[in-house]
Amino acid sequence: MPNNHLYDHDIVSIKDFTKQDLEFIFRSTDKISTLRPNEKSELGKGRTLGYIFYEPSTRTRMSFEAAMASLGGSSIGIFDPKSSSIEKGESLADTIRIIDLYSDVIILRHPLDGSSRFAGELSRNPIINAGSGSEEHPTQAMLDLYTMLKEKKKINNLTIGIVGDLKYGRTVYSLLYALANYNVEVHLISPSILGIRKESIYDIRKKLKLYEHSQLEDILPKLDVIYVTRIQRERFPDIQEYEKVKGTYTIDNNILTKAKPDVSIMHPMPRMEEISHSIDDTNNAIYFKQAAYGKELRAALLALVLNENPI
Amino acid sequence: MSDSSQLLVRRIKDGTVIDHIESAKALVVLRALDITGREGNVITVALNVPSSKHGKKDIIKVENRFLETGETNKLALIAPHASINIIKDYKLVEKRKIQLPDSIVGIFRCPNLKCITNSEEHISSTIDILDKEEIILKCRYCARTLTSDELVF
Ligand SMILES: [Zn+2]
Repeated sequence: MPNNHLYDHDIVSIKDFTKQDLEFIFRSTDKISTLRPNEKSELGKGRTLGYIFYEPSTRTRMSFEAAMASLGGSSIGIFDPKSSSIEKGESLADTIRIIDLYSDVIILRHPLDGSSRFAGELSRNPIINAGSGSEEHPTQAMLDLYTMLKEKKKINNLTIGIVGDLKYGRTVYSLLYALANYNVEVHLISPSILGIRKESIYDIRKKLKLYEHSQLEDILPKLDVIYVTRIQRERFPDIQEYEKVKGTYTIDNNILTKAKPDVSIMHPMPRMEEISHSIDDTNNAIYFKQAAYGKELRAALLALVLNENPI
Repeated sequence: MSDSSQLLVRRIKDGTVIDHIESAKALVVLRALDITGREGNVITVALNVPSSKHGKKDIIKVENRFLETGETNKLALIAPHASINIIKDYKLVEKRKIQLPDSIVGIFRCPNLKCITNSEEHISSTIDILDKEEIILKCRYCARTLTSDELVF
């Protein structure tokens, strides 16, 4: 595959990727995911993925580990900050420099904005941002779009509702930046105290057709995709307010009857009560497929970062 | 220069005169240039000097030090109208305006408290200038778009 711009490069921010870059990644994912296991396992053979999670995220870590395993590589890392040197006060810089010696690609999850950019300057090997600060989770945004592409056969002209905690949900911001490369209509549905932070989408406010709602029902019949995020109890000063809001956004069979028959329900996982288990077996529920596409897309990213010509 | 400013600030033989600094900004300018006085040079600072152009201005004279363009351009967001005069043997050998550089390292703090540049890591803040006309700035690390009013000094 010519012009693999990802080879030996960091994946820090979704804002660094153009539509062409994203489509290159999606095409590569299509190709790499259909390789025979013995071909695929050549792409990461003898290579090591090093992960450092300053915040726990079992699913993201497992997804990367499974992806690396499918390429024939192995994974090492720090997952529990409390039992490791991180707790003893070792700087991020030193932790990165050490893991850089032991691995060929580094996966970093960190609570501060810009941590991956900083890590990328220090490390010899490529860094992949697995979530940083309040706004960046580039691989999640890529897998979200890839899921839409596979399940809806297109991204352009989709009408997408994003529901839940839009203020603190890191995935939401990366997703909006990724979607801004396409001609889509986005409806943001949240209680007002969890509304989107306007200053964080300043750059894309003119590119995206964005509408805000407080009730899902208002826009439900128009939506092709409902992207659900978790509303966390801690965000509410008043527990009764939380109890009141929580139910309003729960996706269940009743909601599905008012939506388009082919509406797709997505979720970055882990899912709590915001999606009823009763819809898990419907064709509308694509959140488990989304997790599966996530592994394939991350495998492709690892293959592209580690190999100049993976396919 | 008016008579009063001549009285306040003596002529220097060799060094740099930073003139037309916005009034009451001189101390900030010194900090930005990392001029502490410990260098041992004679440094004269005049605040709120009457000026025909701007009403009031500040002036700094640093003797025996010739500030480079790279140094003085750091002042672009603090004292954009200042002029830099390089004096050698009492003569003005170079006069220059301040120009906005492509990026400014280590002078301002990013206003985002969750930015890695505000953590305990050894890292200098780096502000990239995206648009020199409208002065649109961006933190290189957290990628937040900023205006010059938002920068923390
Ligand atoms: Zn910053």
